Amino acid sequence: MTSADPGAPDVPLAPGTPPALLRVRDVAIVHDGAHTAVPASVSFEVAPGEVVLLLGPSGSGKSTLALATNGLIPQAVPAELTGTVSVAGLDATTTPVATLASRVGMVFQDPDAQLITGTVLDDVAFGPENLRLPVDEVLARTEAALRRMGLWERRHENPDRLSGGGKQRLAIASALALGSDLLVLDEPTANLDPAGIEDVYDALAAVVADGRSILLVEHNLDAAVTLTDRVVVLDADGRTIADGTVDDVLRERAEELHALGVWLPVSATAALALRRAGWNLPRLPLTPTELRETLEATAPPVPSAGSAAPDGPERATDLRLDLHSARPVIEVRGLTLRRGRREVLHDVDLTITAGEFVAVVGANGAGKTSLLQAIAGVIPPPRGAVQVAGTDAARIPLRDLSRRIGFVFQNPEHQFIAHTVFDELAHGLHGRHLTDEAIRERTMEVLTRFGLEGKADVHPFLLSGGQKRRLSVGTALVGGAPILTLDEPTFGQDRARADELLRLLQGLNDDGTTIIVVTHDMQLVSEYATRTVVVGDGRIVADAPTRDVFADEALLRRSGLRIPPLAAALRGVRRHPSLAGVTRLDDLEAALR
Amino acid sequence: MTATIDPYAVEAPSRGFLAQLSPLAKLAGPLPAMLLLIFARDLATPAAFLGLAYVLVLAGARLTGRIALLLFVAVPVGAAVVGLALSLWADPARVDRSVPLLSVGDWTLYLGAVQIGLATGLRLAAILALGFVAGLTTTGPDLVRALVQQLRVPYRIGYTALAAFRFVPRFGYELEVIRQAHRVRGAHAGRGPFAVVARWWGYIVPLLAGAIRHAERVALAMDARAFGAHPDRTERYLLPWRRRDTVFTGALWIASAVILIALFPWTL
Repeated sequence: MTSADPGAPDVPLAPGTPPALLRVRDVAIVHDGAHTAVPASVSFEVAPGEVVLLLGPSGSGKSTLALATNGLIPQAVPAELTGTVSVAGLDATTTPVATLASRVGMVFQDPDAQLITGTVLDDVAFGPENLRLPVDEVLARTEAALRRMGLWERRHENPDRLSGGGKQRLAIASALALGSDLLVLDEPTANLDPAGIEDVYDALAAVVADGRSILLVEHNLDAAVTLTDRVVVLDADGRTIADGTVDDVLRERAEELHALGVWLPVSATAALALRRAGWNLPRLPLTPTELRETLEATAPPVPSAGSAAPDGPERATDLRLDLHSARPVIEVRGLTLRRGRREVLHDVDLTITAGEFVAVVGANGAGKTSLLQAIAGVIPPPRGAVQVAGTDAARIPLRDLSRRIGFVFQNPEHQFIAHTVFDELAHGLHGRHLTDEAIRERTMEVLTRFGLEGKADVHPFLLSGGQKRRLSVGTALVGGAPILTLDEPTFGQDRARADELLRLLQGLNDDGTTIIVVTHDMQLVSEYATRTVVVGDGRIVADAPTRDVFADEALLRRSGLRIPPLAAALRGVRRHPSLAGVTRLDDLEAALR
Repeated sequence: MTATIDPYAVEAPSRGFLAQLSPLAKLAGPLPAMLLLIFARDLATPAAFLGLAYVLVLAGARLTGRIALLLFVAVPVGAAVVGLALSLWADPARVDRSVPLLSVGDWTLYLGAVQIGLATGLRLAAILALGFVAGLTTTGPDLVRALVQQLRVPYRIGYTALAAFRFVPRFGYELEVIRQAHRVRGAHAGRGPFAVVARWWGYIVPLLAGAIRHAERVALAMDARAFGAHPDRTERYLLPWRRRDTVFTGALWIASAVILIALFPWTL
């Protein structure tokens, strides 16, 4: 099936050229039951010591390709693979996965799905044990890998106790212990908070320093780009359309990639906006530091945008004034909440007014989800602590409460209760003395609003990920709730899907829905939320307009958060005062106008 | 958060002699007695085995607060409750009616019924206590290792089962979230057995969908770490069958035989 490799691969190597660790040639993969090949045709190589970043729009087959690099596709996951995948000269489609495992180490997206045994030490030793290495060798490799990842001191602990970033470092250690020279990571930071992302990239820097190679599928380019040597880009069908150095691909062809739907570092996106506004930026900056330095060295175009009064801050102030006069829809007073024996919220006060877009942020375990759940009645709040639209939430029957405030769970599947998409939405309208006709009409209206009109008779579990998410938002709103609360709605999703959801929320917010969202995605917060509430240790440690919160780096760090890349780049800019303090791409465009 | 069972909870290294024995010896030793107790009908035999099991556990395992609570509160109370409940239930026509204990109207509780009930409660307690010999001193991973190393259970099955232990707390948490979500949406609200069945049925689909996806991911992660590469794998913790395991098992079998012969609880 795969032996027809044009141009005899491994023989004609120029002297001094290291042989490729991974060679992917014309690879197309058709999943069982699918009709089209995704990816359609991928070719690239990874040389020893190289860090290759694999980019492409959502659905271009990046994860599928990652699974093919160690033979999991087609050997463990049924699929038809044409073309060649060879690992150090071995055909990855026929060499057993177990043999390839000592050459290609895999790190997946979900940190919890990579824990196998009971202690950190046993988990890393699991791979070498499978290779039947002698006990001494197993222990030596395990110790080396754990020390490299900074986990040796925690070797006797249950891996469950590690943070998300810690679990991913453990997964990297497990891959290193197998002796792999090539690490393949598939969205390793998608499920992590900002501190965890930093943790993983520190670990990867150590891996690179040891001279190993990395193939990285990642949407968080701001973290990845400093590590990367070469970039391979797939188009929407999964064909290689670019393969070159960071300079050649990301800097030279940024506009083309942007148009294709490939995510760029936020600094690069900002620089593209500056270019469109007439700024002369010949070398596209890719990191916050580069963007800042570029701006300091560049004169603003004439007519000067730098001297005009910026719109951004004005807008935020206006909003703030509006809010004070607006009607409060949620009032939390002295909320203290216990879960089991632990007090998770201590005496919290919070007022949210109609039409706000509020982000609740904080480190894992800070109490942000508990706060949101108490507000929405998912966990019953104590009497008198939470007022929703002027009524004590503890006294409203749950069914009525869900008509005043909708709650969207992290995983949409958890809240599906009916057998068709239509019934899923109509459920929220039953028991309200509406005629069948009225229910039908209202349901179809919501289906259309969320782009699901063609899916009315489909089982909710058979929808695509993005459709499931839209349906879960629809079910929360169908009863007419004017407030929508969401728990980590972008957790584990790729950037495109996250962006689609946020645009949807923005549209709802523009139409008057109050939005409260718990998240750890800082760029998302800075792009959409007008107000940010920082929760730390069960208390509210900051509550202010988003840009003010992001101006206080010490506070963010203390709360396990990090400044989003755009704010990080612009806050140090001295030459263009109108840009300093901008945190949103939209505000940047506004400031340039 | 929810209380979850952690099969991997790190326990302090046990000092008792039971921890030094092979898990298989601790299972095999009490097993004949456990099986034969099912058919015993008297009070003395289960009492003797209960005593034997308590002596073994108290002498051979480190007495933590949890174990003490189990042995001295949970088991006696449980046995008494079960025993008394069964004595009310026993068919009065078939018990020894020589000594009436309590009369309410024309219903009388006889000593014979209480004896039968307590014998059953005691029997259950004795079987349970014999199970504690292995249960309180063996971890899941050790049992799997012993099964793989001594009984030649294929390691692919053993270690996969071990990895599946990890699912338990995860599913507990996931179920809790699903229940919250369904409650908020008012799914199958209401009382009565039918509403309860409908409610739980509604949890199954999302729970299974999550479970299958998680299992697939774990399986890929295991494959990617060369699981199943060879017919066997390196065992870092050896759990050999030692002479003391033979002695323990043999001694327990002999003790069981002595008790059973001395008290012979069956009428032929």
